[in-house]
Amino acid sequence: MSISTPATDPILSAEAIAARKPGPFSLAGKSIVTPILLVLILLAIAIVTMMIGSKPFNQVIIDLFVRVILVVGLYVFIGNSGVMSFGQIGFTCLGAYVAAWLTINPVMKKMSLPGLPDFILKTKMEYWQAAIFATIFAAIAALIFGRILMRLSGIAASIATFAMLAMINTIYSNWDRVTGATSSVVGIPIVRSIWPYFTAAAIVIFIAWLHAISRAGLALRAARDEPTAAAASGIDIPKQRLIAFVISGAIMGAGGALTAHSIGVVTPDNFYLSLTFVTLSMLVVGGMGSLTGSVLGVVILSALIQGLRFLEAGVPVGGSMLALPKGLQEIALGIIMIVILVLRPSGLFGNRELTLNRNRSE
Amino acid sequence: MTLLNLVDISVRYGRLTAVRGVSINLKEGEVLFITGPNGAGKSSLLRAIAGVTPTAGGHVEFDGAQITGRTPEDIARLGFSMVPEGREVFGSLTIEENLMVGAGMHSRTPGWKGQTAADLDSVYNTFPILKERRNQQAGLLSGGQQQMLVIGRALMARPRLIAIDEPSLGLAPNITDQVYERLIALQAERKLTLLIVEQSSTRAVMVGGRMILMRSGQVVLDGDARELGNSEAMQAAYFGYEDH
Repeated sequence: MSISTPATDPILSAEAIAARKPGPFSLAGKSIVTPILLVLILLAIAIVTMMIGSKPFNQVIIDLFVRVILVVGLYVFIGNSGVMSFGQIGFTCLGAYVAAWLTINPVMKKMSLPGLPDFILKTKMEYWQAAIFATIFAAIAALIFGRILMRLSGIAASIATFAMLAMINTIYSNWDRVTGATSSVVGIPIVRSIWPYFTAAAIVIFIAWLHAISRAGLALRAARDEPTAAAASGIDIPKQRLIAFVISGAIMGAGGALTAHSIGVVTPDNFYLSLTFVTLSMLVVGGMGSLTGSVLGVVILSALIQGLRFLEAGVPVGGSMLALPKGLQEIALGIIMIVILVLRPSGLFGNRELTLNRNRSE
Repeated sequence: MTLLNLVDISVRYGRLTAVRGVSINLKEGEVLFITGPNGAGKSSLLRAIAGVTPTAGGHVEFDGAQITGRTPEDIARLGFSMVPEGREVFGSLTIEENLMVGAGMHSRTPGWKGQTAADLDSVYNTFPILKERRNQQAGLLSGGQQQMLVIGRALMARPRLIAIDEPSLGLAPNITDQVYERLIALQAERKLTLLIVEQSSTRAVMVGGRMILMRSGQVVLDGDARELGNSEAMQAAYFGYEDH
C-alpha cells in the first residue's frame, strides 16, 4: 500500500518547522538503559553494604531489596493499568506461607502445622526452590482472582482487590492447622547473604521492563490513558489487565517467599494493611507510571526512614546525646511524603524513566 | 456492495431514547456524513455501531456478518475502525507507540512485522509531522496533530471502514481543512469507506458525498450532500421548522 505525499502546503510546513525543535518534555522511549542503570544502583548499594560489613546494616539492605521486589510488583499492575489495587500484598502472604510450608524442618512442621498434606509435611526444600513454588502458587491465585476482578474498573476494582486481601488475611488468620492462625510460624531458614535478594530484585526489574515494552504492556498503558479508544483499537482490556495482574502476583509471591527467609518468621498480619500502605506509598511517591520511580521510590523512602531512625536513636553532640523524640520518625516521614506529593503530584519521576541522554527526541 | 447495514437501530440511556429506529445502508467506498444538531443521536449511533454503547433494538451487519452486541475490540478486528470524539490519543505513549497499538490487533497474522513497517511508513508519508515527532509523548501534540494521530492510528489497523466522530471539533478551520484534505486523499487511494459525524453540514457540502441529517434520534433527510446542501428543506429539517 502506498500513499503519495500531498503537495507541501504552507501551513503544515510552518508547523513542521516549529516542531523540529525538540520540546523540553520529549521522552526517551523505554530503553534497556533504564533497567541496567537501576540494577547498577542496587549493585552499588550491595557492594557498599559488603564493604561496611555491619550486620544490622546488612539486614536493612536485605529489607530494601525485598521492598524493591514488592514495589516493582505493584508497578507492573498498578502502574501500567492505572487500576489501584489494594490486594497485591495478599499474594505476598500466599508466597510467604508456601516458602514456610516447604522449607521448615519436617519434625517442626508436624508439630506446628499438622494440617498440611502429607507430601508437604515430608518435604524440605532449599529456599530458592521453595521461592519458585511460591511464585507459581501466587501466579495461579492471581489468575483465578484476576479472571473475576479484571472486569471491574476504577473504585469498584480497588475495593474488590481490597476485599480479596481481607479474604486471604481472614483465611490465613483462622486456618490454624495449616497456617498456624495468628500465631507466628517459626523455623523458616534465614538467608543472611544479600546476594540472593539482590539477584531476585534484578531479575524482577528486568521482567517488569520486558512487560512494559511488550505489546501487552503498551496495550495496557493505552487502555489506561483512553479505554474507549483502546477498545476501538482492538485491545481486549480485561485480558491485558489479567496478564499484568498475574505477572504482578507472581512477583509479589516471590517477594513474600524472600520476606519469609529474611526474617525467619511469618504471621498473616505481616502481610496486611501496614505493608500494603508502606509499599503503595513508596510506589506513589516514586511515580506510579515509572519503573524508575518504583525502584528509586523505595531507595529514597527507605533512606529517609533509616535516617530518621538514626536521629531517633540519638546523635552524640559535644558529649551529650541529641535525640529526636520517639514517634517523630513516622510523623516526619508523613510530612515529607505530603511535601513531595504537593510539589510533584505524579510522584518524583511521574511517567519518566532514568536514561543516559534525557533529551533524546529522535 | 453493502459494507455496513443498519436495521432499525435504537439506543437508550435509561428512560432517554437517543436513537429511534435508524436504518442506513452504506456501500463499500462510499463517503457518508451524518449531520444534525446537538443531541440528534449521531454520536450515540456511531458508538452503538462500534459496540461501545449497547443497542436497545435493531441489528448491525458489517460485511455481511452480524455484529450487534459484539465487543468493540471484536468489531475493530473485523475492519471497523472508530475514531472517538475528542481525539483520544494515548497521552503517555509516544506517537510511534500510539500507531503501533493501532496495528497490534493483527499481530498474529503472518508477515505482520513487515506489513506494519510499511503501514507506518505510509502513515508517516501522509502526516509528515507525526514522523518528526514520533518519539515524543502524544499528549503534548497540538489538537490538529492529535487528530492526525488518531486517524493514523485507525489506518494502522488496515480498516475497511473508518468512522470519525466530529473531526473538526475544537480545531481551527485551516487545520480542519488539512485534516479533511488528507482524509479524502486516503479515501480515494485506498477505496476506504468513510462515516463522518459532524454537527454542521458545511464540511459535507465542501467535500461532497452522501449526507444524512438526523434530528431527535431519527433520520430526517438522506441524499447527495451538495444537492441537499443549504437547501431550504435542509434548513427546515435541521431546525425542525415543520413542527411549528
